[in-house]
Amino acid sequence: MTQTISINLGGLLFHIDDEAFKILDNYLNAIHRQFKNETEKNDIIADIEARLAELLAERIDRKKDLVSLNDVNAIIAIMGEPHDFVDDEEPQPRAQREKRRRTKASRRMYRDSDNRILGGVCSGLGAYFSIDPWIFRTIFIVFSIFGFVGIIIYFILWVTIPEALTTAQKLEMHGKPINVENIKNTVKQEFENVKRRMNL
Amino acid sequence: MNIDNAKAQMKKGVLEYCILSILANKDCYASELINELKASKLIVVEGTLYPLLTRQKNAGLLTYRWEESTQGPPRKYYTLTEIGKEFLKELDGSWKDLVKAVDSINKK
Repeated sequence: MTQTISINLGGLLFHIDDEAFKILDNYLNAIHRQFKNETEKNDIIADIEARLAELLAERIDRKKDLVSLNDVNAIIAIMGEPHDFVDDEEPQPRAQREKRRRTKASRRMYRDSDNRILGGVCSGLGAYFSIDPWIFRTIFIVFSIFGFVGIIIYFILWVTIPEALTTAQKLEMHGKPINVENIKNTVKQEFENVKRRMNL
Repeated sequence: MNIDNAKAQMKKGVLEYCILSILANKDCYASELINELKASKLIVVEGTLYPLLTRQKNAGLLTYRWEESTQGPPRKYYTLTEIGKEFLKELDGSWKDLVKAVDSINKK
């Protein structure tokens, strides 16, 4: 006695034995992986499943026959291996899409010790929101004069916000993508800063 | 340079042309297309056809409609669009030129 499974493939019902099911399931998963970057992945897969169902139906009497391992192997041989499906005009835009996604800048809050007055909190906030850090400095000064709220918040931020130490973190602070060109520019700028300080 | 790769490259353009050509004669659902292409040995495994059809559909060359079938679930019938017909006309021309070019070179 073996266990059988009922499946709906491309809108048709099949009874399939356990081992054959596993092979078919693996095969369909491989197809999913093959087209994972395709915009119309679901359409393509639905077409393939419909065709597989049609091929299976041609092989067996759906009402009484069980789909066996042989049947599954036969239809897979007709359809072919997923890695052969690649349409070589597609990979390029896909690679470009991925590149864009990878270099898309994410912004993170850091303390900017390059432009700091005290702890670099306000210069970091300024870099994060792309506005003049003196706006934050003024707010903190005003709130520090009228009670200690400004000072307390400032110290909390000082402790909780990490300092931007590496070039990558400095770029992230400004929301610039981390790529070779930007790293080069930042390093150059830092070099200029050091030179200026030496002269002072 | 590997021979399989050279053959595959050659077939690829021809395959796109032939899909449009078959659809110009009559609207087909995927299996009919496959049978014709297989009979002429243009495709070996069927899976290659589906991404190609999707790309041609996205390029506006063809479109599809659903039709009820007596034997099972509804079928997707592909048909050429006006753009597809124009495209095919262009390809017909360049195919004739190519055949002429290859013939004249091989005859020398």
